[in-house]
Amino acid sequence: MPSRLAASGVLLEIAFRNLFASRAKTLIIGGIIMFGTGLVVVGGAVIDGVDVGMRKSIQGSIGGHLQVYNANSRDELALFGGAMGESDLQPLEDFAEVKKVLLSVPNVRMVIPLGLKDAIIDAPNTLDRTLAKLRDDVRAVLAGDKSTERATSLAAHKAHVRHIIELLASSFASARSLAKEGRSEQSDREALARVQTDAFWRELDTAPLPALEFLENRIAPQSIDGGMTFIRYAGTDLDAFPRAFDRMHIIEGTAVPPGQRGILLAKLYSEEMLKLRTARRLDKIKEQIEIAHVTIAKDEQLQRFVKENVSQTRDVMEQLNPMTAQQATERLARALRSSKTALADLLVELFETTDANFLEHYAIFYRELAPLLELYRIKVGDTLTIKAFTSSGYMKSVNVKVYGIYSLAGLEKSMFAGMTSLMDLMTFRDLYGYMTAERAAEIKRLKAGSGAREVNRDNAEAELFGGGEAVVGATKAQGFDENTLMQAKQSVGAGFTHATFTQDELEHGVVLNAAVLLHDESQMDATMGAIDSATKAAGLPLKVVTWQVASGLVGKFVTFARVILWVAVLIIFAVALVIINNAMVMATLQRVGEIGTLRAIGAQRRFTFFMLLAETVAVGLAFGGLGAGLGAGVVALLRATGGFAARSDEMYFFFSGPALMPAIGVTTLVIALVLVLIVSILSGVYPAMLAGRVTPILAMQTED
Amino acid sequence: MAAIVSVRNVSKDYTLGKTIVHAVRDVSLDIHGGEFVSIAGPSGSGKTTLLNLIGCVDTPSAGTVEVAGQDTSKLAERALTNLRLHHIGFIFQTFNLVAVLTVFQNVEFPLLLQGGLHRKARQAKVNNLLAAVGLADHARHRPSELSGGQRQRVAVARALVTSPALVLADEPTANLDSQTGGTIIDLMKNMNQKNGTTFIFSTHDARVMAHASAVIHIDDGRLAGREQQNGQQAGGN
Repeated sequence: MPSRLAASGVLLEIAFRNLFASRAKTLIIGGIIMFGTGLVVVGGAVIDGVDVGMRKSIQGSIGGHLQVYNANSRDELALFGGAMGESDLQPLEDFAEVKKVLLSVPNVRMVIPLGLKDAIIDAPNTLDRTLAKLRDDVRAVLAGDKSTERATSLAAHKAHVRHIIELLASSFASARSLAKEGRSEQSDREALARVQTDAFWRELDTAPLPALEFLENRIAPQSIDGGMTFIRYAGTDLDAFPRAFDRMHIIEGTAVPPGQRGILLAKLYSEEMLKLRTARRLDKIKEQIEIAHVTIAKDEQLQRFVKENVSQTRDVMEQLNPMTAQQATERLARALRSSKTALADLLVELFETTDANFLEHYAIFYRELAPLLELYRIKVGDTLTIKAFTSSGYMKSVNVKVYGIYSLAGLEKSMFAGMTSLMDLMTFRDLYGYMTAERAAEIKRLKAGSGAREVNRDNAEAELFGGGEAVVGATKAQGFDENTLMQAKQSVGAGFTHATFTQDELEHGVVLNAAVLLHDESQMDATMGAIDSATKAAGLPLKVVTWQVASGLVGKFVTFARVILWVAVLIIFAVALVIINNAMVMATLQRVGEIGTLRAIGAQRRFTFFMLLAETVAVGLAFGGLGAGLGAGVVALLRATGGFAARSDEMYFFFSGPALMPAIGVTTLVIALVLVLIVSILSGVYPAMLAGRVTPILAMQTED
Repeated sequence: MAAIVSVRNVSKDYTLGKTIVHAVRDVSLDIHGGEFVSIAGPSGSGKTTLLNLIGCVDTPSAGTVEVAGQDTSKLAERALTNLRLHHIGFIFQTFNLVAVLTVFQNVEFPLLLQGGLHRKARQAKVNNLLAAVGLADHARHRPSELSGGQRQRVAVARALVTSPALVLADEPTANLDSQTGGTIIDLMKNMNQKNGTTFIFSTHDARVMAHASAVIHIDDGRLAGREQQNGQQAGGN
């Protein structure tokens, strides 16, 4: 049917030529379509990039490909916290059994046990740490150490404590002038006044232990820096974890030796929560200047950091004893070429930075001052006291040694993935409050030691309140010997933190969830089905979810972003639809004569219908294609120029690194073009129907 | 010769607001193949309405119209369109060429709608016709590049390209000066004599009427008389 083909050709030719004839209208309509399509392509590529980034971040940190947890749990698993805080998960009693069943599924490569929890650590403040050193000296002297070194150390630490107290008193004096004082503040003030007297320090020489106790219990809590800090940790198999998540690497210290209890602090956690705030602020200013290319002069946040450093020099001053303070004064005066002689003034000069001198002052801080300071409140080798509420609701403390600091490559600054510290699974179980064999034995020992006995429910009343002998016998007040208690505490602590465990003990115990790593990620859905079948067959109440679902609200970010993009795109295309429709209706009305003529000389309705439709579809496809091409060009340009730089810590997580590389997906392109096609057809149908309704008589109308 | 058009007791009423306009009232006439007929009458007399009814672009309120032996009142719209495509050519007062197509494409267009002819055959037919109307050199031009007379000649070529039995022309010279109008009428006459194509054209110009073999007078929608030219008087109904 060569003529039919030619007729279609002429139909398209009329359509195209009409479009060309009304260029302004075509360009306006095309411009909107082009913008919409470009937005779909660029927006889709950016979101796909975030999707890829998040996939890397979550899969590479603790997510794995899949996560399993107890199906009877009250909440859903949320690796990075959900809307209502920490998920309430029912434990999986025996990880070994879970692992065995999961590994029976062919595509499962590894299963990593996990228990994610929030806890509190007691991060000692400067006064605490200096008092601890003073106490060591006092104890040594009491034990008979009469060496000169000890005496010098004692004197230095005493001077340091007095120095901190003076700083504390002066800052409180200025604070009190601003706030109304309550009863407790008055009592604190009296305590502070007492330790500022020489009489108190003479007392410390004669009866050191009560004086130290007073300092520790009444003064140290008034120093607000430090104190309790939150920590998020994942209890896991620390040996298997790095094999499963190869982004993890230890940047300071060592791995926790197999079978040992211990914790690896997350680098970002250590920086954000444990580093001297002044130093951290300097780091942040430097990062913002170098990565986000902002200036102190123009950026309010950086100006605030500078102001805080200038007004909070006490943090630094507190850390310096009279001797190191003298050193710091000399070093700073020389480095800053300053004539000032007071340390406080020199610190203000150091921290009063501008864009011109920031990098020089930053270098001076780390070169001259930092060696005299303790930059981190907790360091590798320290033993942490971690407190957490157990599953049964009581507070439990565990001492655990910090073996190292770790980081996840590409996620160093990610607030979500980079803040979770890693702890051995046995310590997690202790904190979680699960009855391990070890703990059961410990409780038995304690019971035996305290003389406690089981009270049966049936005769509880008689046992507790009446009859027979008195349950509560006569009590006898006893003094206590602190040294004995300290030794006892140390022995318990040592036994606890150094208790070893076997791989078998680690595997046969409770976990809250487990990360599942696959051989072939593309088979995720099929594998989930296989895991479901395998766990059902084994009678395990396991729920299996993808990494995306497991990451809770964070995982929904991409979905949320996609919804926003598609809503924006739909609005643009809805506007385009209305505009195209109106323009084409107007064009149809203007061309009634032409259409009538075509009908009169023998064109069927469908010819004029498709002629009009061809116009909108041609505009849609041509400009849609152009928009897609431009969008792809923008994406290519973004990639060539290094993508979007992560300007905040959260962005690091979403981008899985310092920059987002948008990635054009075939799906996005296809969706964009299909969308354009749908919009052009929809917007063209009504005008085309109008054209179909034009009767040939309209072509014949004259003034007759 | 058999009647190519047979109009029997045809009336056409329009509603204009609350008024009923009787555009054509009880008209009966026959037009035979090869005739060169003019429908004459003052403005508003119903000439165009009668042409529309004959041209199957309008349907009568009463009576029947037969074109090429087919009762148009019994045909569906699709069939009416096919009847127009294959049996009727149209020439409009305002030329009604497709502005975005070239002269050649405008003339070729009905052949494309008809289908069946190969490109070379189509090209030959179109080029012959353009040569016949004196526009061989203007094949690639757009209508906007032509004069009124040239445009109407393109319209004549387009009307004749499918070799229709009947060509209807509504005031074909109304928008042309008298000399050009005369040329167009000569061209139509020439085609009528050469190919035997029946022409029916409306006009109120006496000079144009003079070329017709028969003049049908319409007044106030009614057939006022049929005048056979060259001394022959044909009666109306």
